[in-house]
Amino acid sequence: MKAHARLTAELDPASGRTRLRELRSMAPLTLFPKRGGGTAQVHLVSSATTPLGGDELTLTVRVGPGASLRLSGVAATLALPGSHGEPSSAAVHLEVAEDATLEYLPEPTVVTARARHTATLTASLADGARLRTSEVLVLGRDGERPGGLVTTTNVTRGAVPLLRQRLMIGDPLLDASAAYLAGRKVLASEVLVWGADPAEAVGGDWWSVTPLAAGGTLLTVLAPDAVEAGARLAVARRHHPGWTPGCHDPVAPVTDQTVSPRSGNP
Amino acid sequence: MDVLSLLLADSRFPGGGHVHSGGLEEAVARGLVTSERDLPPFLSGRLRGAGELAAVFAAAAAHAAARGVRSGYWLLLDAELDARTPSLAQREASRAQGRGTARAGRVAWPSPVLAGLLAATPRPHHPVILGALAGIAGTPPRDAARAAAYLAVSGPASAAVRLLGLDPLSVNAIVAALAGDLEAVAARAAASAGAEPADLPAPGAPALDLLAEAHVRQHKKKEVRLFAS
Repeated sequence: MKAHARLTAELDPASGRTRLRELRSMAPLTLFPKRGGGTAQVHLVSSATTPLGGDELTLTVRVGPGASLRLSGVAATLALPGSHGEPSSAAVHLEVAEDATLEYLPEPTVVTARARHTATLTASLADGARLRTSEVLVLGRDGERPGGLVTTTNVTRGAVPLLRQRLMIGDPLLDASAAYLAGRKVLASEVLVWGADPAEAVGGDWWSVTPLAAGGTLLTVLAPDAVEAGARLAVARRHHPGWTPGCHDPVAPVTDQTVSPRSGNP
Repeated sequence: MDVLSLLLADSRFPGGGHVHSGGLEEAVARGLVTSERDLPPFLSGRLRGAGELAAVFAAAAAHAAARGVRSGYWLLLDAELDARTPSLAQREASRAQGRGTARAGRVAWPSPVLAGLLAATPRPHHPVILGALAGIAGTPPRDAARAAAYLAVSGPASAAVRLLGLDPLSVNAIVAALAGDLEAVAARAAASAGAEPADLPAPGAPALDLLAEAHVRQHKKKEVRLFAS
């Protein structure tokens, strides 16, 4: 199935609120607007079992100058093989204009056995644009080896590349290699182009917060399961000096044993 | 393969590469690599992430040096490799080795192209200066890529001998067994050598990035480490 969903958010100068100017769902990608404050919120629901082999899915999100949008997933995505082993692809294009803010937070993608999936994310940022986007990849369901996934991330500000990464999942040798995915079941990463970046890299066992060369920060976590990956990502995010969660984003009470070994009297 | 690519891939080349273990020391310290059996998967992962990325940029730099690009190209290539190296520790290790290679290159193979590259990027990334030296001498991109890919595994392999006391003959055999993979990486890198810098492949390897960051943290804690990375 081929589908192209589009979402455009713009700032309404009169009210100072973000309005959704275009909200075009196309099965299996359904966009549900939510009532919100100054930030527009939309849920992305995959309305069928998708991506399935043969699927070509595209999502284009544009956030106009000064506008603020949060687009989040509601359920994990299962990358599944087609009946004749056809590959599937999902492309996400994000355009964030001057002084606009976008959070694109899909739920985890589970790469099931025999899937052949290609995921690409392209984010084009203008000056003063803020972006938070995460990707959580689960290498197969419980007790299952993953199929094949190639995921590519491109984040640019104007003509300047901030992050370009391509990862391959599903080669048993690389999945297990201490120099590639270290045999961990879940890879979680998050890009934050959001105010001040850390001056130095911060991290612990199998997680890090590292400033990118031309601005922006990458959070990386390798974890045994998605729950721990999410918790670790939340810990990592707290080490980002520019990060300011919105009112809709309560900070989870996660203990951080690696970095703050003790509390109380100095 | 010409003499220049032998020189560049030689562990005795005075570019300072011998102080880098490519994440192996951290992997050993954590017990992830303890024996000869653990070495092949480590080296394969390293080759397909860091090794492939180095090969891609060495090939592109060789292609560019041979056709005499303007200095703006080197800035572009530098920024594109930065964007493909999210780990600060990996960027610094690459530039440290680049600096050593540039010093050796300036003495051995002075040329206007090299001067232009170093004027635009005084602290070049290692694969870029390596590839540029090759290209200036007329060595094809594929040979430059092969040298870069080989260095990405030969350094950690010899570090494994030092750190774990592995049998050098067995370790040599492990590297020799990677010949087919090394050739494939070099061929792919050569195929993309003429692409726009923005369109070059961007192979990454998250675990290696995390090991590199952890290695730097151990250095800062004054833990004893033999290697700089």
